[in-house]
Amino acid sequence: MPIGFELTPDQKELQTLASKFAREEMAPRAPECDKKALFPEDIYRRAFDLGLMNLNVPTEYGGSGLALLDQCIITEELASACGGMTTSILANCLAIQPINLGGSPEQKERLLKPFCSSYHLASFGLTEPSGGSDAAALKTRAERRGNHYVLNGQKCFITNAPQASLFTIFATVDPAKRDKGICAFVVPRDTPGLSIGKEEDKMGQRASSTATVIMEDVKVPLENMLGKEGEGFRIAMQTLDSTRTPIGALAVGIARAALEQASKYSLQRTSFGKKIAEHQSIAAKIANMTIELDASRLLTWRAAWLVDQGHRASLESSIAKCFSSDAAMRICDEAIQIFGGYGYMRDYPVEKYLRDAKLCQIYEGANEIQRQVIAREFLKRFA
Amino acid sequence: MDVIVCVKHVPDAETRLRAASSGKWIDPDGVKFTVNNTYDEAAAEEALRLKEKCGAKSVRVITVGPARAEEALRYVLSMGADEATLIETPPDAQLDPLTTSRLLAGVIKTLPHDIVMVGKQAADDEAGVVGSALGALLGLPSYAFVTELSPDATTKTLKMRRYVEGGEEHFHGPFPAVISLLKGAADPRTPTLPNILKARKKPLTKVPLADAQAKAQALPGAPVAGTVRSFVLPPPRTGAKMVEFQTPEEAAEKLVKLLREEAKVL
Ligand SMILES: Cc1cc2nc3c(=O)[nH]c(=O)nc-3n(C[C@H](O)[C@H](O)[C@H](O)COP(=O)(O)OP(=O)(O)OC[C@H]3O[C@@H](n4cnc5c(N)ncnc54)[C@H](O)[C@@H]3O)c2cc1C
Ligand SMILES: Cc1cc2nc3c(=O)[nH]c(=O)nc-3n(C[C@H](O)[C@H](O)[C@H](O)COP(=O)(O)OP(=O)(O)OC[C@H]3O[C@@H](n4cnc5c(N)ncnc54)[C@H](O)[C@@H]3O)c2cc1C
Repeated sequence: MPIGFELTPDQKELQTLASKFAREEMAPRAPECDKKALFPEDIYRRAFDLGLMNLNVPTEYGGSGLALLDQCIITEELASACGGMTTSILANCLAIQPINLGGSPEQKERLLKPFCSSYHLASFGLTEPSGGSDAAALKTRAERRGNHYVLNGQKCFITNAPQASLFTIFATVDPAKRDKGICAFVVPRDTPGLSIGKEEDKMGQRASSTATVIMEDVKVPLENMLGKEGEGFRIAMQTLDSTRTPIGALAVGIARAALEQASKYSLQRTSFGKKIAEHQSIAAKIANMTIELDASRLLTWRAAWLVDQGHRASLESSIAKCFSSDAAMRICDEAIQIFGGYGYMRDYPVEKYLRDAKLCQIYEGANEIQRQVIAREFLKRFA
Repeated sequence: MDVIVCVKHVPDAETRLRAASSGKWIDPDGVKFTVNNTYDEAAAEEALRLKEKCGAKSVRVITVGPARAEEALRYVLSMGADEATLIETPPDAQLDPLTTSRLLAGVIKTLPHDIVMVGKQAADDEAGVVGSALGALLGLPSYAFVTELSPDATTKTLKMRRYVEGGEEHFHGPFPAVISLLKGAADPRTPTLPNILKARKKPLTKVPLADAQAKAQALPGAPVAGTVRSFVLPPPRTGAKMVEFQTPEEAAEKLVKLLREEAKVL
């Protein structure tokens, strides 16, 4: 397919649906959910009913089966209303992607179909208290006993954990083997020995829930292991390769909302007898924000497009996630600046954008790790 | 029972409008068009309910407009309509509502139709003409400003309601008929993503303008149309007065004084 920047009529329709849901249903609830750290289950249920939830699951298993670019278009719309709600909606895609990638047809039929047939949440359990960036060093143990594995350990910062009914958990048969010892398991919430720790009180994205998952002698039958013993690390990395780009789109959505608010405000607020947008330094801010937002969106679309064309896109998806989330921080910061004193106040919308955007630099691979990937992939060309 | 619903692709209510250089209509450049045309959406919802609740066989959505108006048809297909027809006009055509009605009627006449639904008026020109004109051109009764309807397929009658000054009228009448809707029994549904994907495969027929014009020749009466002489945007509002205050009491006191002494409305 040639490169084109115009959305297809179908993509426009998906965009319209997502934007309508975001504007009419998510946005009005966002401030209260942020202030009180409420988890708006009715919104998530409605997202499911509209088909906006399991975007990456093939239609034969009850998902929407969308291309990654379509997922990014939807994600940007949702995130322009609330970053936190969008993270909780996207967390299902993240948790399910290991089953999409590593599951057998039998496992997909048995695990995905009932999950997608009605409203359910799932969680992806990779990060541990001792470290998230060095995922190969994870400590949660998986011990083979007859026809099942026994899991022991802790996962932390797990999105949707308090509400999830299904977990994809990464554990090792031998920490000394590092990546070669890691296995991926699907664990239902009601498995004895699995419990949820205290919910985190977060800086931003407070409409999303985050908690520790504790596993004490959790018995998982063999048929719930994805792939073979030792293939878990590859499954986890391939999962993150494909979910990283939508995080870029999430950052684009938050930044777009910040830029829109700041632009409107700059045309209303006056100082020294003119609209502040007419002061050169404010106009320059708006210009820079517009440039960075545009670049972020295009990088995100490119990474998604490459994946949809069947190419490997580790470099491009890392570039998209890293640039978009860093740019979102700069854009949200400038939006506060343009709002002056009001920007610093919780009754105005812009300070929330900054708090929400910050997470995009940290999760699904901190930006330092993205830069490591970018440099490694790029330098290969000269080695 | 076959249901046809007519919708119009209109500028989004939040779009900033400018007059076109012709001075006769808005400049469509950069304008976002949508089907979020309150009364048309209500008509589409009601048409779908006729299928779901009253056993209507099919719902077809029709519009007259340029190629971009296909979006409005796709939207209603995504809501659940079965088929769509686009009577395609040139991009810069500016149609008088009577002309639109003749084109619609010419095409509808060739399609099975027991109930033809329209919104009571379009959100852009708000002419409110198409419903009654379609009735006249198709030789069917037309019921205007309906708020509720239930058809009885055996007696071919419709029970309807509408608001009238000071109350509500409950009435019935025969169909086939044309109904212009003020509002439906339920809020228009939002198309779900799976339905959007399904709508891709639904048939959408394009009727070239010349074909529709030829079909319209068989209709009673001669084509008549008004001509727009000029289109002007309302002048920007002036005269707003900001009241400076320290306390709510002071604000109220100053407001009352202004309303009494300057505006003289109290
Ligand atoms: C709100 C929230 C939701 C989350 N949801 C999930 C979830 O659903 N599932 C899940 O598994 N995880 C989740 N995470 C965890 C997230 O992915 C990790 O926080 C992230 O991977 C970073 O790991 P860490 O916090 O342990 O930081 P560390 O790995 O301890 O890193 C600390 C700092 O050191 C830097 N650093 C580490 N190694 C290097 C290196 N080699 N070179 C340069 N710098 C380095 C990091 O970039 C970072 O700045 C979530 C986190 C948050 C905050
Ligand atoms: C927590 C907090 C505590 C405060 N405490 C005090 C206090 O104790 N006493 C007190 O008096 N004030 C106080 N302030 C007010 C503070 O000093 C003002 O917020 C600040 O001066 C900016 O004014 P403003 O908010 O009205 O923004 P505005 O003046 O409306 O400015 C909006 C934006 O336009 C920019 N701008 C304005 N004019 C120009 C120009 N000519 N060229 C380029 N850019 C321009 C500004 O830099 C800003 O980015 C406080 C504010 C906060 C947030």
